[in-house]
Amino acid sequence: MSSDCPSTASGPRVRTAEELRAEVANLEGRLAEADKMALLGRLIASVVHEINTPIGSVFSNNQVAAKGLETLSRMLEEPAPPPKAQQIVKTLRSLSDVDRMACERISALIRSVRNFSRGDGERPAKAALQDVLANSIKLAETSFRNRIAIEAQLGPAECECYPSAMGQVFLNILVNAGQAIENDGRIQVKLAVEDGWAHAAITDNGQGIRPENCGCIFKEGFTTKPMGEGTGLGLSIARRIVEEKHQGRIWFESTVGVGTTFHVSVPVAGPVVKGEA
Amino acid sequence: MDSTVRAEIVLVDDEDMVITSVRAFLEMETEHNVHGFTNPNDAIAHLETHPVDVVVSDYLMPQMNGIQLLARSKALQPEAARVLLTGHADKQSAIVAINQVGLYQYLEKPWDNNQLLLVVQSAIERTQLFRSLQTKIAELEAAHGNMADIRAKLIKAFL
Repeated sequence: MSSDCPSTASGPRVRTAEELRAEVANLEGRLAEADKMALLGRLIASVVHEINTPIGSVFSNNQVAAKGLETLSRMLEEPAPPPKAQQIVKTLRSLSDVDRMACERISALIRSVRNFSRGDGERPAKAALQDVLANSIKLAETSFRNRIAIEAQLGPAECECYPSAMGQVFLNILVNAGQAIENDGRIQVKLAVEDGWAHAAITDNGQGIRPENCGCIFKEGFTTKPMGEGTGLGLSIARRIVEEKHQGRIWFESTVGVGTTFHVSVPVAGPVVKGEA
Repeated sequence: MDSTVRAEIVLVDDEDMVITSVRAFLEMETEHNVHGFTNPNDAIAHLETHPVDVVVSDYLMPQMNGIQLLARSKALQPEAARVLLTGHADKQSAIVAINQVGLYQYLEKPWDNNQLLLVVQSAIERTQLFRSLQTKIAELEAAHGNMADIRAKLIKAFL
């Protein structure tokens, strides 16, 4: 017997229901964390690709700027600067603008990865769910690579929640939506607060979920994706996060050949913590 | 090839920043005319009306991908060299498509300016050599036509 379950004179100590519940909760937490990291791992190639374009520009611009400055300094030694000097100054200004935009883009993407990787506290905290959802959209977009148009209508939705866990729920749904669209397509994302509930709806115009799979979608280990593209844990963890952690609801509607909408609703006031009800 | 030879380059990328950077670099290093397009359809419209030496295109773009654009370029101006500028993640799709469009070369992002310059210069040289070969062939054909004509006249005059 492992040291988790010390024996006593009368035999191995039987763990209490409370201890077992705590252990299950701990394992579920670790599984959710592993899913989050796997999700980020699958996206990392797209994130790197997204960063490569601005980095390519910055490198190139730096080389051009060095050469341009060298040419300019030679021109300054002449009694009257040639007209090409003005042209070089103009080019260097435009490259400086590009560098600023490139750095802003890289920085925004890194911020998104950092926000997503951040863990939650023990208790729910006040968070702007629209920012959490926008962050997940930004990360998911890297894998869509211009093939999918995203239309987002995100209303303000201040919630008592576990923001990082909610980001994981949204990212799982968004990545699935992108994978359901074979070529070009569209994903609509809406977020609004109504009657004390923050409600997000993510609609894709992908292939839809086959009726025989509808009952298995939230089951642990169920996947229709090829090896390496999914763990089969994403939606079962999303359901646990929404229903158990937030006392909310998650469901979907789907028509084969038309698309799927996933709905996520969580109470704005946050989950009722045991002993505080 | 002499880098002072003025060539026509078409550059297509949906990212404006890539066009600005590559154009600034090529204009600093060469005397070529660089025509940048963020919309592939505008690039095709340009190819329909202007002779071009080399087309450099991004792979993933919203309206059409780089392979589709280069296929249109091949149909419009077969002699213009075609270069794909791809992100690492698109490499496999690019390799698969190389034969489809008779790709001259592909470059990966982030690109190396020296390599880009080398590829563009040799692509221009290839296109201009090809064009000069076509001219020579046309001249030879015309000369051959003249010879045949003279021969026919000689036969008519003496026989």
